[in-house]
Amino acid sequence: MRDKVMNTNQVMRQVIYALVLGVAAQVYFFGFSVLMQIALAIVTALSAEAFVLRMRGMQVAPSLRDGSAILTAVLLAIAIPSIAPWWIIVLGVLFAIVFGKQLFGGLGNNPFNPAMLGYAFLLISYPLQMTQWPSEFQGVLSIFEASGVDALTGATNLDYAKTQLMLGESIGAITFESISQMWINFGFLLGGIYLLLRRIVFWHIPLSLVLGLVLMSGILYLIDPTSFSSPVFHLINGATMLAAFFIATDPVSASTTPLGRLIYGFAIGAIIIVIRVFGGYPDAVAFAVLLMNITVPLIDYYTQPKVFGK
Amino acid sequence: MSKLVFKGGLVLENPFPAKEIDLIRIPLPDRVILPMQQRIGEQAKPCVSVGDHVLTGQVIATIDDDRCAPVHASISGTVVAIDNQVMAHQSGLEALCVTIDSDGEDEWMDNSVACTENYDFCTPDTIYNKIRLSGIVGMGGAGFPTHTKVQFAEGCHTLIVNATECEPGIMCDDALMQAYPTKVIRGVEVLLHICGAKKAIIAIEDDKKESIKLLKKFCKNERITIEAIPTKYTSGAEKILVKSLLGIEIPSGGYASDVGVLCQNVGTLVAIFDAVVENRPLISRVVTVTGSAVREPKNLQVRLGASYDYVLSFADIEQGENDIRMAGMMMGVDLEGTNYSISKNTNCIFVNKPIEKVPAQECIRCGMCNTVCPVELLPQQLYWYSKSSNIEKALDYNLLDCIECGCCSHVCPSNIPLVDYYQFAKALNRQQTKEKELTDNARERFEFREFRLDRNKQERAEMMEAKKKALKEKMAKDKVQKEAIAAAQARVSAAKTAKESEDAR
Repeated sequence: MRDKVMNTNQVMRQVIYALVLGVAAQVYFFGFSVLMQIALAIVTALSAEAFVLRMRGMQVAPSLRDGSAILTAVLLAIAIPSIAPWWIIVLGVLFAIVFGKQLFGGLGNNPFNPAMLGYAFLLISYPLQMTQWPSEFQGVLSIFEASGVDALTGATNLDYAKTQLMLGESIGAITFESISQMWINFGFLLGGIYLLLRRIVFWHIPLSLVLGLVLMSGILYLIDPTSFSSPVFHLINGATMLAAFFIATDPVSASTTPLGRLIYGFAIGAIIIVIRVFGGYPDAVAFAVLLMNITVPLIDYYTQPKVFGK
Repeated sequence: MSKLVFKGGLVLENPFPAKEIDLIRIPLPDRVILPMQQRIGEQAKPCVSVGDHVLTGQVIATIDDDRCAPVHASISGTVVAIDNQVMAHQSGLEALCVTIDSDGEDEWMDNSVACTENYDFCTPDTIYNKIRLSGIVGMGGAGFPTHTKVQFAEGCHTLIVNATECEPGIMCDDALMQAYPTKVIRGVEVLLHICGAKKAIIAIEDDKKESIKLLKKFCKNERITIEAIPTKYTSGAEKILVKSLLGIEIPSGGYASDVGVLCQNVGTLVAIFDAVVENRPLISRVVTVTGSAVREPKNLQVRLGASYDYVLSFADIEQGENDIRMAGMMMGVDLEGTNYSISKNTNCIFVNKPIEKVPAQECIRCGMCNTVCPVELLPQQLYWYSKSSNIEKALDYNLLDCIECGCCSHVCPSNIPLVDYYQFAKALNRQQTKEKELTDNARERFEFREFRLDRNKQERAEMMEAKKKALKEKMAKDKVQKEAIAAAQARVSAAKTAKESEDAR
């Protein structure tokens, strides 16, 4: 009799399906190592989840079946460089699941986005392995080989732009031959639109995140187009679309009021630009999301909708 | 946006539509069990004894508490027991009931204080008393005594007749309107006569086309309008209905009477008509029997106190272990077995084939619930704080404004019985408030005692001081007097001596 649109397990599954296009683009440009990373991440996540659940004396099967651990694993796996050594993703997922999720009480109780917590942990601990991206069309690179084959690796556009700027070049003179970033972002955008249409994700966070990002980068670009990248550059590079539709929208750690979601998304977009432009890291999604995660209880409290009769 | 559409809520279809919405009068039951405890307030006191012969419509229990209504015998026969019986409530608690065995005659009590057709000549007070003595309560499910509600709404400007049928699946109001459209209209006129409202609006959900047609046909009174409102669940909730029809938002914590509106269920109006014009107290009601195990849903006119088993025997129910649920699929309560009787607010019985219960998962704060909440709460936040018994925070998130409609639980992808948590939190809040009141009282008493002791002490001290002072003064005075006396004596004796010595000379 209870006609539900979807249950929690189906929601998680739909989000994973929506990632397919973006992942396909990654595989196309970076090879099958992307899939290996994902597979390794899922196995690690499920094992870690099962282990902690057993230690906590809870039922293992229902939690594994809800798909949330798999989702965290997939998100982290596609966020890290596909040629990172195997132990990078294993450590990251372990940290995400054990410290980011289970120690707070499991699904629904984690104040931080677990995948981003895992990412931040990796980025701070292993900056070298975390910033070496493969050049396009290098074919399959085994993640079990020792990495650091410099000829085959390069920095991302965001990184490249930053380095060139530091070297005194102006943005206009820096050429971006890679179209991989654009296609990957496009893939995640399509997946995100699917989630919007299925009403799995509300429009507030993706829209306001993009708005915050465009506004912040737009202001900087208007001030000085020679030293700041254009909003379009920021939209199609880095993890922008992945963040807008899949990471910032993690409902557990995001703001939950309609107005709060707008503020939350907007702030993440703006902070991404601030860190990308002025910070020391190539991309900024993880830190922007984690920063805003902290503010969620406050945002929620002060953005309660007007209650009937008040 | 049309003013008739409200935020949130759910468009739900009747899960088990009936081919015909007929009102079927079922034969007299052999036995009725009438509860003394009604929805709220004190328990009525039986005024009959075991072995007494009672007539249909005879008062068998009375009460002074204004929040309660008297109870009438719903059949004629013999009182066979006055004892505790299990109530149709989740708790399974027992309450005092009067059991009457039918004599099969259905012999009516002669209630001669009728107003009859010419109620216009009766003063509102007379009719008001008639309603009070007829034991009429809200027939929509809340069971609040009608006379009290009318009293609260004194000076109201609008009478709203709630014919929305509160939940999908329930059809008793629809059946009643189709069977007695004139009674409904006359009932509205009677209530207009006593409550002083200038106009009345009969609100019906637009899927009840037949009822709308019939009421429009029989309504000749220009003070009464019939308004078809969109079929959307919780449209029948009082606050939502008043907003939809009049655009008035009842303030948080307030009632319709606070904004000059009187809301009454359509079943209540038929009961008022029966009581005032036909001189029959409330002894029967319409019950919808529906559910997945019922082949054809039916609306049965049932004498109050008839057993569930008896009522269900008139519906075509599939054999097997079925789940029983009283009232609607959204706000109703699941019951164990069928060992209950029909009370004044039993509007529906669901008989469902057992379904496997889906275990609840963790809340992922997806926010589906706050898109459907008709009073615009944040159910996900309320859940978080209710679950952790953080009542203060839950109150901050407006726990007390929750109307427990169940929309949030219905859409929750994690199958969390959210409303159960809110009910728990509300109960906890009531308990804490009560405890706080008690401790506050105790503290006040203690502080007053301290103050009183202090005051007594001080007063005594002051008194002692005053006494001492008085004593001192008295002593001082005495001393002066004594001295004066002594001086006088001295003078006298001196004078004496002088005289004596003079005399001697």
